[in-house]
Amino acid sequence: MKPVDFAFDQPATLAQASTMLATEGARAMGGGQSLGPMLNFRVARPARIVALHGLAECQGVEDAGDALTLGASTPHAAIEDGRTPDLPGGILSRIAANIAYRAVRTRGTMGGSLCHADPGADWLCTLGALGALVLTWTPRGGRMVPLSGFVTGAFRTVLQPGEIVQAIRIPRPGADFGWGYVKACRKPGEFAHAMCAVLLDPTHGVRRMVIGATGGPPVVLEGDRADPAAVEGALKGAGLGPVERRMQAVIAGRAMEQAMQAHRGTRA
Amino acid sequence: MSTLTLTLNGRPCTGDATPRTSLADFLRETELLTGTHVGCEHGVCGACTVVMDGQPVRACITLAHSCSGRDVRSIEGLATDDVMAQLRAAFTAEHALQCGYCTPGMLVTARDIVTRLPDADSERVRLELAGNLCRCTGYGGIVRAIMRVLETRRGVQAAIPPRLPAATFARRKRDEGVIPMTAPMAEGATGGNTPNRMRQVLRIGVPASAVWDAVRDPELVVGCVPGARLLSREGNQLRGEMTASLGPIQASFQGEATVRYATDAMRGALTCQGRDQASGTRLSGQADFTVVPDGNEASRVEIDMHYALRGPLAQLGRGPVVQVFANEIARTVGLNLQARLRNEEAPPPPARLGAGRLLLTIIWRALRRLVSWGHDT
Repeated sequence: MKPVDFAFDQPATLAQASTMLATEGARAMGGGQSLGPMLNFRVARPARIVALHGLAECQGVEDAGDALTLGASTPHAAIEDGRTPDLPGGILSRIAANIAYRAVRTRGTMGGSLCHADPGADWLCTLGALGALVLTWTPRGGRMVPLSGFVTGAFRTVLQPGEIVQAIRIPRPGADFGWGYVKACRKPGEFAHAMCAVLLDPTHGVRRMVIGATGGPPVVLEGDRADPAAVEGALKGAGLGPVERRMQAVIAGRAMEQAMQAHRGTRA
Repeated sequence: MSTLTLTLNGRPCTGDATPRTSLADFLRETELLTGTHVGCEHGVCGACTVVMDGQPVRACITLAHSCSGRDVRSIEGLATDDVMAQLRAAFTAEHALQCGYCTPGMLVTARDIVTRLPDADSERVRLELAGNLCRCTGYGGIVRAIMRVLETRRGVQAAIPPRLPAATFARRKRDEGVIPMTAPMAEGATGGNTPNRMRQVLRIGVPASAVWDAVRDPELVVGCVPGARLLSREGNQLRGEMTASLGPIQASFQGEATVRYATDAMRGALTCQGRDQASGTRLSGQADFTVVPDGNEASRVEIDMHYALRGPLAQLGRGPVVQVFANEIARTVGLNLQARLRNEEAPPPPARLGAGRLLLTIIWRALRRLVSWGHDT
């Protein structure tokens, strides 16, 4: 199908974009790779689309030692190709390489994916596990919101009208960290039926498991609760049937196994 | 309609397009470059894949106006490209096409594979082709054709775009946002919801007899459903509409329902079917409900629902999201019903269910459609 009619703006600065986004019925668009299909299906019918791809302020990368900060407009393909700094082991590159398809990754952006807040999105789950923060911008100043508190529900975030995600800050885990990320897809590139990311970071006292592909925000299990055995119980109310919950538990087990192996590897 | 300027197949191009025009439609219908094929129109099939600034993109989910100032190459613009010449010969030799529908997108993707991944083996080629659907030739010949070209190019440097520039992003005040949900959320008593089936239990601090009276008043019940309106009622036949929004997703269902009551048992059933006009999504379902006393002063409304959602919304919404959303609506209905029965002010609708002028616009549009509908029947 074709989208319903809408007005289209391509601002050059955050200030312009923010003013445009504060109007009724306006919707921000990053790379448009998730919003595009919704527009074509006419399940999204915004009055106005504000494309953020021209904002220089949302581009580029900052590698500050304790954290990587990626501009919100960073396309998945740039991370996949190693054209940005990465965490040890090429963690980000491997995540990016398995998002949808190459021709989608060239346009789709990290910031756009987080703001779209699709429960099946790779970055939402993995960056949540990595303890990433979303840096927002408004004319009165911005805030840094941890991903665990950024998403209020499926396709919904804490962003206020006119508030724009400018960058994503990803803290570097300690030297002996372990990382695991597994998703269950019947076909490469499709939305996952189950997904789990695990970070074991003893240096910072972090043991975190994040489960995606639910009916709501990612489910975060910290400390002792970050245990594959706790997954099925923790997913009550997440809109999943018993089979899907079991699948999530199995995937969580595999992600934990990966993380433990990596952790042992860094210590060996 | 407004003008955009880009470089198309190596030449400057200026054309008119409405904001909603996709790059694919612009190429095909304005520039008459019909080599770009349109298949699924949601970025999955890959038939529309073209090259923008040297990288493959989906022309069906790229707006024409967002290509302003960019360099776009469609399959026609790759006619004299050396790699494409090799690929064309290999596709012919390996019988990598039959009907040809997927071929332009296949070739653009194949060109990306051989230039970006010169070391790829056939397994990697198959993985990369996951985003291009072929439904008649089969992938055997396509993979062999791409491998044939890769073999001739071994040792050629991979074409990778430049690194992203350095930037600085000022730190700002930390805000925790919403409290992370680590504890199980409330759910129907069984917790065993399965796809297309749902059990809801609404606990209401009002005696069962009062709740039962209310439940038999469709106007009152519909008034408790956020975004819902009762349009007409004849006996047990109801006509109504409901609008809902979930982030960027909007739906405005209009439809009919039949409701039956068994007063002795304080039990009833509602069957309904509706349609979201703009997307063509259809929803049908049945809800069996029972009012159960919970002491003298309180009661429970137990609702067992099964439903079918067909069309675009079902494709994009995905089952678990629909379930959680329905839970939220049901919770709101329960709170509203309780407030009405206690003569209290209704709690403000949760912001996340969407509200505001946008919804009103949608309702207004829907009403206008209903009026013209009425004349037809």
